[in-house]
Amino acid sequence: MEWRHRHLFDLDDWTREDIERVLALTSEIEGILNDGGKALPSLKGKTLVNFFLESSTRTRVSFEIAAKLLGMGVINWAAASSSMAVKGESLKDTLWTLESMGVDVVVVRSSWVGAPQYMARKLRRARVINAGDGTHAHPTQALLDIYTAWKRFGSLEGKRVLIAGDILQSRVARSDIIGFKKMGSEVIISGPGNMVPLNYKALGVRYEPDFAKAVRESDIIYLLRVQKERWQVNAIPSDYEYHLSFGCSEEALREARGCAVVMHPGPINRGVEIASEVADGDKSLILEQVRNGVLVRAALLYLYLGGDA
Amino acid sequence: MILLKGVRVFDGEHLREGLFDILVEGKKIERIAPKGSLSLGDGVKVIDLEGKIACPGFIDIHVHLREPGGEWREEIKSGALAAYYGGFTTIVAMPNTNPPIDSPELVRFVKLTGESVKGARVLPSGSLSKGREGKELTEMRRMVNEGAVLFTEDGSPTVRTDLLRSAMLYLKDLGVRVMEHPEDPYLSENGQVNEGRVSALSGLKGIPSSSELIDVERCIILSRELDVPIHITHVSTKEAINAIRKAKEEGVKVTCDVTPHHLTLDEEKVLESGFDPVYKVRPPLRTREDIEALWEAIKNGVVDAIATDHAPYHVDEKDLPFEDASSGIASLECAVAVILDAWDRRGRSIPLEKILRLFTSGPAKVLPERYRGLGYLREGGIADITVIDIDRVSVVDVSLWRSKARLTPWNGLSLKGWPVLTLVEGELIQ
Repeated sequence: MEWRHRHLFDLDDWTREDIERVLALTSEIEGILNDGGKALPSLKGKTLVNFFLESSTRTRVSFEIAAKLLGMGVINWAAASSSMAVKGESLKDTLWTLESMGVDVVVVRSSWVGAPQYMARKLRRARVINAGDGTHAHPTQALLDIYTAWKRFGSLEGKRVLIAGDILQSRVARSDIIGFKKMGSEVIISGPGNMVPLNYKALGVRYEPDFAKAVRESDIIYLLRVQKERWQVNAIPSDYEYHLSFGCSEEALREARGCAVVMHPGPINRGVEIASEVADGDKSLILEQVRNGVLVRAALLYLYLGGDA
Repeated sequence: MILLKGVRVFDGEHLREGLFDILVEGKKIERIAPKGSLSLGDGVKVIDLEGKIACPGFIDIHVHLREPGGEWREEIKSGALAAYYGGFTTIVAMPNTNPPIDSPELVRFVKLTGESVKGARVLPSGSLSKGREGKELTEMRRMVNEGAVLFTEDGSPTVRTDLLRSAMLYLKDLGVRVMEHPEDPYLSENGQVNEGRVSALSGLKGIPSSSELIDVERCIILSRELDVPIHITHVSTKEAINAIRKAKEEGVKVTCDVTPHHLTLDEEKVLESGFDPVYKVRPPLRTREDIEALWEAIKNGVVDAIATDHAPYHVDEKDLPFEDASSGIASLECAVAVILDAWDRRGRSIPLEKILRLFTSGPAKVLPERYRGLGYLREGGIADITVIDIDRVSVVDVSLWRSKARLTPWNGLSLKGWPVLTLVEGELIQ
């Protein structure tokens, strides 16, 4: 069956079946890798460019590993030393240059909301995959989060997902809310009032300002990094005060459901949104998320680049 | 001599009964007489406009002509011609150029350049502060003598309230008013869209309605206290327009304008279009509810003028990822059609007179006394005439514009109701 999406901007135009297809294919890839990886599908001859205008460790590296698993060529375009940064080449011309050289998929990370959509409007042939656009969306993160939770719980139907922290400026929160809701989960958000969109109801979530209470009631406790670099005025008077009110400590977790798990998109701020004991504890799925990131991205590349799975 | 034959006449206030012939001689309107009642000599160019509506030439008090210092975006020459083809005979050039229009010499430059080009009459406005730095008043009295018709920090609010208050008092006896771009600079810093549903869903930084309301209320407070008129431009929110309505009811001398885009486009366009930068503008596109409140205010006579805030950019500055693109909508050449089309889509339920006033006598009242006559169509008056056809349907094609702008939200759309003929001081430009 052909994959019906040309580009990946966000999950808002995806169906639950689309997500389930990614989960199934990811699971299949995981199985093949566990068996030594010989039967992996191949995208040999295709080229991916990691087009990262903003810094990233895990997303960029995991796309690279995923592409290499499928035999793809990978170009890590370096923003800082590019003609764009040094010689003032426009984004449009840079894209056309890369496309002319035969790039098949542009994986883009940008601080500008809407950059992937803009790029897709300019590119003639290449596919665009959003690896995070400003404060808007991060769909591959959401898919790896859903895969990780799905592996743990089997079904996400009726599960309660708490997303806590800087919702206002979090692309991860927005994509995860959309994705988990499509999988039948209930999403609640928590965080100080100045980190929650005034119009949060538009996101289809419930807001629980009492973090401890929200933790008690949830199956998945998803913590967001406090993004200090994005704030105009200090939304958080101190890390310590934040940690006491909205940080996930061992103490807070003690009241959680037995089956509850802790997730975080990384990079983590130890002692701020998450205590070290929790990050490294047995409820934490943080490293599993990172590992699954490679698998999910391999599945996505396969779907988008016309594999006939 | 030109004879506009068989037109309906909107005199600036009312649409008169019957059909008329308008005889233009030189720069003046010689006669307005019942159709067929004039005996014509030789050499009269007769233009048959049966049933179309002749209005006082349309006035747009908020236009960015970008000259000096931004000629790749627009020039006085291209902007004046664009305005003419958009049905405007008088436009006010905003002073946020580079350098800003903050001296008598620069006011004279805009005035003289405007007089040397074809198209709409260009009236300069002056920067309220020297260098647009928001610290010291400009030489407003000398600038008024050179032709400045408004003073504004437009593009930004007048940040210091003491400076704003001082400017209002300094201008009090001159009959020239301040035009305020209402915004709280801190609340809207880095803002990209309206704060509401779209900011919540997109993560784009929102500009709250309160940012506009705080400044509007500040202007009302000062106007009331000093008994000095003030003009508030591009009002975009329900809250702000309601505050202005209340102030007017109380007798405060506040006037306001609204833009074609805030009357027709809502914030959802940003999402629906996949973050198309043509919808990026300040103040941002608001909600359906705000649009309804603005139309309600038009119906109730709260709005004094429609002004375009025509803000042209070069494609290279505008056709970029949304967050990186410049803010501004170019509309001079379709603004009248955008409004007439919206009026038509709303079932023509608002009397047409009320719409036409917003392009004529309404904005004329915001200008200094000696320009008030431009808002009326009368015998002996200047022959600035805009003829509109409320039934004409035409498609917006930005590639044909005289403006240097090549992007507009309405490109490719079919609109109903267009200006069909425009005279500036009796002259027909071809």
